[in-house]
Amino acid sequence: MSGDSAASAPGRSGARQGRPVGRSAGARFRRLFEGGLLQGGVQGSPVLRLFLRWVRRPLLPVMRLWRRNIQLRVVATTLLMSLGVVLLLGFVVIGQVRNGLLDAKVKASQSQATGGFAVAKQKADEAASGTATGTNAATTSGDGTSTADGRQAQNVIPWMSDLVDSLSSGGAGAFDVVTLPVGDDSGGGRSPRGSGYVNPTSSVPADLRERVNSGTTAAQSYTRIVYSNGKESQPALVIGKQVSDPNGRPYELYYLFPLTQEEKSLSLVKGTLATAGLFVVVLLGAIAWLVVRQVVTPVRMAAGIAERLSAGRLQERMKVTGEDDIARLGEAFNKMAQNLQVKIQQLEDLSRMQRRFVSDVSHELRTPLTTVRMAADVIHEAREDFDPVTARSAELLADQLDRFESLLADLLEISRFDAGAAALEAEPIDLREVVRRVVSGAEPLAERKGTHIRVLGDQQPVVAEADARRVERVLRNLVVNAVEHGEGRDVVVKLASAGGAVAVAVRDYGVGLKPGEATRVFSRFWRADPARARTTGGTGLGLSIALEDARLHGGWLQAWGEPGGGSQFRLTLPRTADEPLRGSPIPLEPKDSRRNRGLDEAGLPGGGGEKRATVPVQQGGAQAPALPPRAPIAPRLAGVTPAADPTALPGNGNGARVVPRPGGGVRRPDDGPAAGSAASADAAPPQDSTQPGEAFRGR
Amino acid sequence: MAADRKGGARHRPGRAVAYAAVGVVLLAGCASMPDSGDLRNVESTPRQDTGVRVFAMPPAEGAGPAEIMQGFLEALTSDDPSYDTARKYLSDDAARTWRPERSTTVLANGPSIETDCRAGAGQEPTDSVTCVLAGTRVATVDAQQAYQPADGSYRKKVHLTRSAKTGQWRIDGLPDGVVMGKSDFQRNYTSVDKYYFASDTTAGATGQPVAVADPVFVRSKVDAMTQMVRSLLNGPTSWLGPVVRSGFPTGTALQKDVSGLAPDDQNKLTVPLNLKASQVAPGKCTEMATQVLFTLRNLTPTLESVELEGADGRRLCDLSEERAESAAWHGSAKSPDYLYFLDDKHRLVRMPTGSTGTGALPVPGVFGESDKGLESVAVSRDEHSAAGVGDAGKSLYVTSLASGGSLGNALVTSAGPTQSDRLTTPSWDARGDLWVADRDPHHARLYVVEQGTAKAQEVAIPELSGQIKDARVAADGVRIALVVENKDGKQSLLIGRIQRDGGTGQGTSVVELRSAAPDLEQVSAMSWAGDSRLLAVGREQGGVLQMRYVQVDGSTLDGPAPGALTGVKSIAASEDERVPLVAYSEDDGIVRLPSGAQWQKVDKDGTAPVYPG
Repeated sequence: MSGDSAASAPGRSGARQGRPVGRSAGARFRRLFEGGLLQGGVQGSPVLRLFLRWVRRPLLPVMRLWRRNIQLRVVATTLLMSLGVVLLLGFVVIGQVRNGLLDAKVKASQSQATGGFAVAKQKADEAASGTATGTNAATTSGDGTSTADGRQAQNVIPWMSDLVDSLSSGGAGAFDVVTLPVGDDSGGGRSPRGSGYVNPTSSVPADLRERVNSGTTAAQSYTRIVYSNGKESQPALVIGKQVSDPNGRPYELYYLFPLTQEEKSLSLVKGTLATAGLFVVVLLGAIAWLVVRQVVTPVRMAAGIAERLSAGRLQERMKVTGEDDIARLGEAFNKMAQNLQVKIQQLEDLSRMQRRFVSDVSHELRTPLTTVRMAADVIHEAREDFDPVTARSAELLADQLDRFESLLADLLEISRFDAGAAALEAEPIDLREVVRRVVSGAEPLAERKGTHIRVLGDQQPVVAEADARRVERVLRNLVVNAVEHGEGRDVVVKLASAGGAVAVAVRDYGVGLKPGEATRVFSRFWRADPARARTTGGTGLGLSIALEDARLHGGWLQAWGEPGGGSQFRLTLPRTADEPLRGSPIPLEPKDSRRNRGLDEAGLPGGGGEKRATVPVQQGGAQAPALPPRAPIAPRLAGVTPAADPTALPGNGNGARVVPRPGGGVRRPDDGPAAGSAASADAAPPQDSTQPGEAFRGR
Repeated sequence: MAADRKGGARHRPGRAVAYAAVGVVLLAGCASMPDSGDLRNVESTPRQDTGVRVFAMPPAEGAGPAEIMQGFLEALTSDDPSYDTARKYLSDDAARTWRPERSTTVLANGPSIETDCRAGAGQEPTDSVTCVLAGTRVATVDAQQAYQPADGSYRKKVHLTRSAKTGQWRIDGLPDGVVMGKSDFQRNYTSVDKYYFASDTTAGATGQPVAVADPVFVRSKVDAMTQMVRSLLNGPTSWLGPVVRSGFPTGTALQKDVSGLAPDDQNKLTVPLNLKASQVAPGKCTEMATQVLFTLRNLTPTLESVELEGADGRRLCDLSEERAESAAWHGSAKSPDYLYFLDDKHRLVRMPTGSTGTGALPVPGVFGESDKGLESVAVSRDEHSAAGVGDAGKSLYVTSLASGGSLGNALVTSAGPTQSDRLTTPSWDARGDLWVADRDPHHARLYVVEQGTAKAQEVAIPELSGQIKDARVAADGVRIALVVENKDGKQSLLIGRIQRDGGTGQGTSVVELRSAAPDLEQVSAMSWAGDSRLLAVGREQGGVLQMRYVQVDGSTLDGPAPGALTGVKSIAASEDERVPLVAYSEDDGIVRLPSGAQWQKVDKDGTAPVYPG
């Protein structure tokens, strides 16, 4: 089990869950863009892709705005939808108006044209029968000579022109008259004629001519009148019929009714609709904007306040005006914030009180203890005089009093840490000396255990700014632990210095740590095997104090272990105080671990398994189920443990990462729960960046 | 606090109501039709031309001779600028040699093709057919585009052959010029006055050259403006030619390939000429521009200025309408100040032209003072002197219109037996000469009194065949309208050209009389009513006495005739068309016809109305 993986697990697991969510939104857009726009037809064309990227770049802020601004989305959607409705409505209304206008025009035009055809026929009949003279001045110029000529096909030319003239004179501007020959008929009066600059051949559609030629009924169609004097062409209704001239030869007579007025009316309607539609769209957009603003502004405010609340500024409140839903939301929000603040305050007070209580209790216990101690010493010195049973009790009394004293001292020490009263007296020291002192101090115990303590890396001085007393305490704790759990095997103390950090690692080859224990070893009163009797009389607070000492230095204290493979504890300190640590000179997992040596059958998959296994263990550590093993003690120190236990979790794995954060190590225990939980989500990206440097190194 | 809030609450709805009310009032203003507003000019939109256009079609494949003839005649009535389509009906040789611009023959009812044209009348097909075009001639327009009334029948032979090569019938022999019916002619052609200067006449008072109108016919739908400029540059028609001069040097023409002249947005027309700047003196150039402007304003009344451009594209001169009026004397531009007539005491009285009332004041001077027994009068164009015929038509007096003048001696006396055989109403020309005719049956004569003061000279009229019944000189002094009665009692309205002696000693004469209204049999009154237009009261054969405008070249005008009036004895019109017509009717005395209205009475007892001239 890799302790390091346990350390990095919370952050990474959080990141892994958070990341896909964040990425999926962006990825969907990118897929949409690249799939739809880019890769649709330009696969493998870097130039085009570059171009599209260049095109897309200015759009990105817009897209971001679109994603982030609900107001923009709502207003844009409203505008689009209202535009659609207005367009639809416009089409329908314009279509209706157009049909109405056309119906009226067509009816009027048809009656006009029918009358015109009748006149043309009548005139032809009159001219043909020779009675035209005098009765109709427009037909001929009134000379008697037309009678004879009319029958002879000679005077069709002027007759035709006069006919068109007289037919068109009734409707200057309202309609124009055109005659065309039937087919390719040629001869007198067969040339196309048109009034009012109308170009006859191009103004009358060919299919209408065919229809007119094929029958004797009138036919109508729509066309564009083309003018020969440069006037703009205009749409028109054309009605045509085949009529006979005085000689009985047919020709085509067309009435062209320009739809200018209708067009004008229609464009008036169009303009009106467009204006009205524009106003409606703008109005709807404005309404949407206003409404959304009414809702979004408080929501944004709430979001801002919530962000500030989550950042720890619990006194922030929303401004509430009015009595509407938004105001209710604000009130509820404020109430929630108020309750949170009160609860947190209460918890803080409680925590402070408990710490105080622990500290006071420790203090208060010392005085009677001293008396008891003195009495016990007297009894102990006089034990030879007692009967064996009583003497044995006196010895027990003295031993337990020793234990009690050291437990009390540790409690005092840790309550000092908890109260933030611990002060660092840093000065440059050579860690080799400290190590030597510690090793020589542990020598008797080691000899008793048959353990040999080796020191590596002490060829060169390993100097760091540190509190020698505290570092010694930490190292003593580690070495004594290693000797105790080393099962008589060698204990290796390794020193190293690199970058801005120095490190001391204590390696033993004892029973090691079970998966998940690497995080728990730093918990207060935690015991690897509760059933196992303590031989050295440890208080269960040693590693907790060591961890606090390391934190005080701005350093890390981390554990690694594998079942049966021993364990290694590594203390990493910055070379100069206040300098953040970026890495450690010694890998957390030693080179001679079973995994590295390939002795573990689980092998690499096992590493993956371990890593995965850390997560539930981690969670378990954070909650009650981890506690039962130390149930006998827990009730006694209930006030301390719950508060201290969670701190150990980030402190263990993330200790290195937590310490450099603002606030230093002083308030760490207090901040622990809130900052730690926030950090697991917030600090994900920075953790990722350090992964290659440190967190993964152990694996 | 509560009171404050209540007050504020009461205030706010009040203001809102006020705003709403103002808004409603404003909107209501927009929602009803305006009954007042600002003044604005109305842009006159040109009346839409509904004229019929014939679009000529090329001959159909395999058409027979009759169809070829019909198609050709129809193509002649089209708006084809140079009759390109009509030429397709001709054989190649004929198409080359045919000159359509030579003349235009107008037939009463269009040319008819005589029946022997029908091809294949015999059994075997021939390759050569002669057709005869026939009709009743109405007029001809010669190569100079001058209209001439004509009568008699028209017969021309047209020869068609079948081309050996293509097997198509084509016309290979035909007379030059085009032929068409009267209605087609009226549709396709329009009469336009072109202007020259009288060669030996200047306006009496100012010495300006006098513009003379020379009416010609152009095809109205075929770039009329360019046609008119070309026609103007080509010089006056031969009838008018001897007495007028042109400002353009001989050989002046439009630059090559110029067509489609049209005024620009500022109503300014640029005419590119082939003249060099060195050839043109500034005064000459102004004259040329004046001619162009006067001519084209006939066609486009909105034209405001003209610019002449030299061969090198440089501007020769330009002329605006206002300057043109001062550069040349122009009859139709001079609006008379007063209308003159004789009141019931036979005094000469006058009233302002624009007056709508009936009050007239006696003129200063002798004529206005007492009863001199005046029968008819004429007031000079400058309105300084007046001529009167008195003594029951026996004597002509001229006097000044300034107070204190004397009547003097009669300048002309007549020895006619009755009043209707004595002196006619006199008339003045722009030069200041006074013209009067003596209707003495034994010795009808035409007199001219130069400057109104000299001794009266008799004017020779070599071609006169009959009695002069009336004479009116045109404002330009080069044309005179005469009413001449034949031996058989038929009267005709003739226009003669005044040929001044010019120092040759032959005396002034009126030559080349031509009929202005061939269909009138009797002309009881007449007056010039425009540069080339007369208002005549006359009777057509078998018709009633009616008033109508006639063109000096004998063509008929499209415009409406003035409203009917009975018993018209004399009429007065001015060259300026804006001045109302005035007539003397036996029934109603002096009546007036303002434009767009009906005849109005002016003076029940007045007689002999005249405008200056």
